[in-house]
Amino acid sequence: MSGQAQGRQCLCERLGPAFSDKEKRKGGEDHSAYLGGRGMRRFPSPRGIINTIVKLAKTCILRLTVCKLYFILSDKVANGGASMWCELSQGNFFDEFQMEGVAAEHNEIYLEFVPENLWRALKTAQSAKAVKIKLTNKHCPCLRVAVELPSLSSCSRIVTHDIPVGVIPRRMWNDFREPSMPDFDVSIYLPVLKTMKSVVERMKNLSNFIVIEANLSGEMNLKIETDLVSVTTHFKDLGNPPWASEDGCQSSGQGRDLESMAEACIDIKKLQQLLAGQQVNPTKALCNIVHKRIVHFILLHEEVSLQYFIPAIA
Amino acid sequence: MKCVIGGAQLRVFGRAIHAIARISDEFWFDPLEKGLALRSVNSSRSAYACVFFSSMFFQHYCWTAGTQPCQKEKQLSLPCKLIIKSVLPVFRCVNVLERNVEKCSICSSPSEQHITFQLLCRHGVVKTYNLTFQECDPLQAVFAKHMCPNILKVHSRLLADVMIHFPSSQEEITLSVTPMKVSFKSYTEEDTDFSRTMLTEIQLSPEEFDYFQVGVDSEVTFCLKELRGLLAFSEATSVPVCVHFDRSGRPIAFSIEDLLLEASFILATLCEAESEAASPEPACCPRPRDSSRPGMDKSDQSSTDGASNAVTATSKKPQQKGNTPSMDPAKPPSALAKQEVKNIPRGSERDEPGRAAAGEATEAPQAQVRELPTVPALEPHSCCWAEHPTCTGGFRGIRVTAAQLENPSTAGNTPVGQGGFTGKDLGVAKASQIINAQILYHRILTCTNIAFSSSTPCSSELSLPRTRPLVTPSRAW
Repeated sequence: MSGQAQGRQCLCERLGPAFSDKEKRKGGEDHSAYLGGRGMRRFPSPRGIINTIVKLAKTCILRLTVCKLYFILSDKVANGGASMWCELSQGNFFDEFQMEGVAAEHNEIYLEFVPENLWRALKTAQSAKAVKIKLTNKHCPCLRVAVELPSLSSCSRIVTHDIPVGVIPRRMWNDFREPSMPDFDVSIYLPVLKTMKSVVERMKNLSNFIVIEANLSGEMNLKIETDLVSVTTHFKDLGNPPWASEDGCQSSGQGRDLESMAEACIDIKKLQQLLAGQQVNPTKALCNIVHKRIVHFILLHEEVSLQYFIPAIA
Repeated sequence: MKCVIGGAQLRVFGRAIHAIARISDEFWFDPLEKGLALRSVNSSRSAYACVFFSSMFFQHYCWTAGTQPCQKEKQLSLPCKLIIKSVLPVFRCVNVLERNVEKCSICSSPSEQHITFQLLCRHGVVKTYNLTFQECDPLQAVFAKHMCPNILKVHSRLLADVMIHFPSSQEEITLSVTPMKVSFKSYTEEDTDFSRTMLTEIQLSPEEFDYFQVGVDSEVTFCLKELRGLLAFSEATSVPVCVHFDRSGRPIAFSIEDLLLEASFILATLCEAESEAASPEPACCPRPRDSSRPGMDKSDQSSTDGASNAVTATSKKPQQKGNTPSMDPAKPPSALAKQEVKNIPRGSERDEPGRAAAGEATEAPQAQVRELPTVPALEPHSCCWAEHPTCTGGFRGIRVTAAQLENPSTAGNTPVGQGGFTGKDLGVAKASQIINAQILYHRILTCTNIAFSSSTPCSSELSLPRTRPLVTPSRAW
């Protein structure tokens, strides 16, 4: 991303050293520089994404580039090994978007924040006239979300939320790279998420682990097994997405027996959290299964794409 | 005492119980001649709630058992304390209550040791709850609402919309007002970890309020949790909420007033000057009843506060007519006075604003003129009324003419009327006349309740002697 430096020190360079060096942090100057996003009115459901993320983890990374925003959950132990990559292009959501990264060749900002705070700040954004988001540094760096709400009088109400964020220094950016598509055995479209959610929720009461298996004939089974009971839910005629193989080797099950199932046993809570956050049906929802290794969910909405990786339990 | 609450009003009553439950674990159940009062105060005496249901609220309200022979026991229903936890289950699912319960009857008699709540539900089901109580001294916080320079009146919907932005875990919020704007923000202490706390601020314009008066720019911090109960209650009644407050450190009162009920929540605010933890005020000192007049109750209240002249003026307020003045003499005001005594007569003043108040006016209007210190609320430089031309002031309950003030004996028979005047009118008066208007205003305040009514504009006039500015009403509110 070759952003223009514009001859002035950009935000992260000002804040970056301030954060590696704690004394400087107490400077208290107002680095009110510009990550500004305005007018989220076209935001189809910002809360939809935030809603999903809120359910998944306590903290989340927000990566900002000139064109896109990314919400990243890295596969740390705290997350139970699950990781998430959610991508949306800023043009679809903001009327105005300005940002400046650390340097011209690294024109990005990485912030760590608590999704619940952002969710609460945007609670009333649906009925707002305008929403402005700025990155500022008062007592500590925070995202200042200013929501302008309509009111009965001529002056609108202004609600300001200061969400504390942590700026991630450049040396740690490598931890948050985009995960590569795994070499999956089976790829299949998911059933209607609402149905799947209610099934998984009931299964959650019985067991801690769930086995997902699917084959290339559009059949998927969700299985749990305990000492007393085993329950299986069968879905069929789901369809398999046609992945164009980039080279001959990347075979999405080429030559694979159509009936044979690839399965993975995963933590049921993670799956339930993912499904619980989905308010709206995605345009496309599919999952890729690497046999006994990892399950990779892809949920595509109109303007947002979300990928969620749940590792299999041995 | 026995009363019956009809189905429609049950929801309101249940919400009142829930609102009071936020304050403390127990509440005072205080049947009076005019109605039923429920009161509560929290353990640190920093929050007080009182909900008074007039007898009209009930389908049937009977205060005396009628069989008490002797005079002394006329006030047979001593207030008693009930544990909230035992009453809450009666009014558990307030919304469901309305649908299933036809009537609720509450009765007590001194011979029995319990109060009986009986829910008469549909299909002939009757649920009876016998709750034991503790006898106790009466409780009342005393707070001179009409001495507050800052008054806001707002529909409960607005307050609820504001509070929704704060997390339910938010303990305290700060309300800061200037004549130009009002803002609510989350309160942070000195040692708050800002890297973990989310701060929220909401700014409103004065136009959003039904009534907006800011005499003193102030910033008061109070406990939000205790307030939420009142907000839920006011939504049930859909009556606007009035907020009376002063500088930081002085209590803030949220009140709802209706034909059928009155509720007020008085919360202590943080004292910024001393920058210490919330000073417990109002501190309520329950006193045994010493008046023979039923329905009358006086509790003295001491509050820790930097002395403010306005309060001193209150303490010199004339006694309630016909009562043994048991009020303690006010301690001499000094800048460092810690103890002050405030007193508001209740009961009769509430119900008969004209007559009782006039009685006060008769007692010592002369004395007031002599002793009256400046009412800081109305100091010209900070008097927002004059600057706020769209704000109107008014009064109800008594029409005072200067002649009556000079000659108090006629005051008692004045018909109840309404009047108003605008800030603009005050603004045009000269400085000296403003001072006179202050004195007159203060007199009016002590004579009447400031009541907010949404009735149609009226045309009564306040006529003043020639040395005082002529204040004519242009808009009533």
